[in-house]
Amino acid sequence: MSKQKRTRLLSLLFLLLFAGLYVSLVKGSVKTSFVDLWNFLVHSDQTHAQIFMHLRLSRALLAFLVGASLSLSGAILQGYFQNPMAGPFVVGVSSGASFGAVLALILGLNISFWGFSLQNVFAFGSGFAIVSLVYILSQKRGIFKMETLLLTGIAAGALASSLTSFLIFFKSESFEQAVFWLLGSFQLADWNHIRVIFPIFVLCFLMSQWLAKDMNLLVMGDEIAQSLGCSVNRTRKIFLLLSTLLASSSVSVSGIIGFVGLIIPHWVRLLIGPDHRYLFFTSSIMGGVFLMFCDFLARTIFSGSELPIGIITAAVGAPFFIYLLNQRR
Amino acid sequence: MKIKLKFTVLTLCLLFLHNPVFSGSQSLSIKDDLGYTHVLGTPPQRIISLAPNVTEILFALGLENRIIGVTRYCNYPTKAQSKNRIGGMVDLDLEKIIALRPDLIIAFRGNPLRLIQRIKSLDLPVFVLESGTTLESVFSLIKRIGLVTQSDNAAKDLVDHLGKDLKKIRDRLKNVRTRPKVFINLHGKGLWTSGNNSFMNDMVKEAKGRNIAGEVTRAWFSYNREELIHKNPDHILILAKAKKDFLDVKTWFAQEAHLESIQAVQKDNISFLEEDLVTRPGPRIFEAFGQIARILHPSSFEVER
Repeated sequence: MSKQKRTRLLSLLFLLLFAGLYVSLVKGSVKTSFVDLWNFLVHSDQTHAQIFMHLRLSRALLAFLVGASLSLSGAILQGYFQNPMAGPFVVGVSSGASFGAVLALILGLNISFWGFSLQNVFAFGSGFAIVSLVYILSQKRGIFKMETLLLTGIAAGALASSLTSFLIFFKSESFEQAVFWLLGSFQLADWNHIRVIFPIFVLCFLMSQWLAKDMNLLVMGDEIAQSLGCSVNRTRKIFLLLSTLLASSSVSVSGIIGFVGLIIPHWVRLLIGPDHRYLFFTSSIMGGVFLMFCDFLARTIFSGSELPIGIITAAVGAPFFIYLLNQRR
Repeated sequence: MKIKLKFTVLTLCLLFLHNPVFSGSQSLSIKDDLGYTHVLGTPPQRIISLAPNVTEILFALGLENRIIGVTRYCNYPTKAQSKNRIGGMVDLDLEKIIALRPDLIIAFRGNPLRLIQRIKSLDLPVFVLESGTTLESVFSLIKRIGLVTQSDNAAKDLVDHLGKDLKKIRDRLKNVRTRPKVFINLHGKGLWTSGNNSFMNDMVKEAKGRNIAGEVTRAWFSYNREELIHKNPDHILILAKAKKDFLDVKTWFAQEAHLESIQAVQKDNISFLEEDLVTRPGPRIFEAFGQIARILHPSSFEVER
């Protein structure tokens, strides 16, 4: 893809980002207009401050960050496995992380410091444990098998999901928690969530951008990458760590949100080609914008009640994805 | 001398200010069931109820004009339906709640904890009630709502009145010796039932019946069909929104579910309980209790006094 085309795509994405932020701020169950927003910016009052800043803005930004994280995590995993099927959900990270978070919740571990709660730690820990397990199991006599890895990931993810459902079924008194952990929601988004996920996203984003060239080498095969001066094993480990960190931090603030981590990076790859230096960046922005719009739909499509966001991402994403795949063939 | 006088006046003033009679209820504070402190200032004028039973209690306390928001499930009394809707019990519309500028939000057990914490974090005055699972606990629920809305007298009257109703029913059951086995069917055709941590269980117990699922320590779960046949209940109580739904479930029990062998089905001891009435720990739950008592022990109610 030419540079000009890439710039055009990116400007379009940024335009959509601001459009998304604008509609997310102005539209909601309480009727507000641009004038209200302007008045609030000029001389703020408490009611509007809470609606605009603490409900709508924090929610839109969190949706963006989660979308960007999931999508970047997916982009890394797809490059890593050289397989378009890969994604945080497929390799078991999401399910693992959600199991950890629910476990912390049910054990009553409500301790937190600087916005990081034990729940986040548990989510990351169990997400990482699942990935490590899958990684170890798919290595036989030092030889790494891609398809074993994906299949093990699917199986381990299914196991983690069933354990999560078990915990929710037996220990939770409300159905709301089941919906949250299995379908995802931004209903309770607040600035504390952003404080958790923002630094993690920035760190992982910078790292992946810095290592994007190495990812391009890895795609050519381990021997070639090694001979071109990339230390294959270390790079692989770092990428796996980054994608796990991204996916599990997303899950710990918003539950499991399917599809974003699978279709967005794939779509971006179809649009701009396989160069990871651009792929990582564009996937992040596109994933963020996509999820921000999905969340906007989730909370406005039926006034007075909310849809779990997983319903929207799949309903919007799946048909579009099938269309894209068909076109390519 | 003058200085001394001034000093005395000042001390007197200070004394008066500190006197509880003068500072009034301003300094009084109570704790809600989650342990949050709630300061009783001026009586709340803009109340939002987050649960149907809370709405019913507020109306029964005569606070109709001070309620500004209810959930979409708050359908009783009819006037509640014309109040602002602030979403459901688990999917509250936080924006709307903020825009209504409430000075008191009353939450109940069905509202998820995370949601309540989110409301807290928005600096909204929320008071959380958990209540127990017994009929008696409804009295303390009403009293606490009376306390926080500062209508203690109305609450006391209501509790006295309901207490008399309860006593009447209990008196009727005083000499009952039998304990019929009861299966409670909570919802539709899935054999969902109540274990021993529930209002339903307590009501059946108080009505001198035996809940066959009573040994399970869970508020609700799906009962095993074999177990149901084995326990062979004398009565089946079906909770339903309307009579039509009840009849559906009733035919299901007798035909599709192959539970013909059960005593209750054979003797046609399958009864309808209006879901809203039975499941809301509010003033009407005593009416529900009376219905259950009548179903289980009709002979005790034959001679009306």
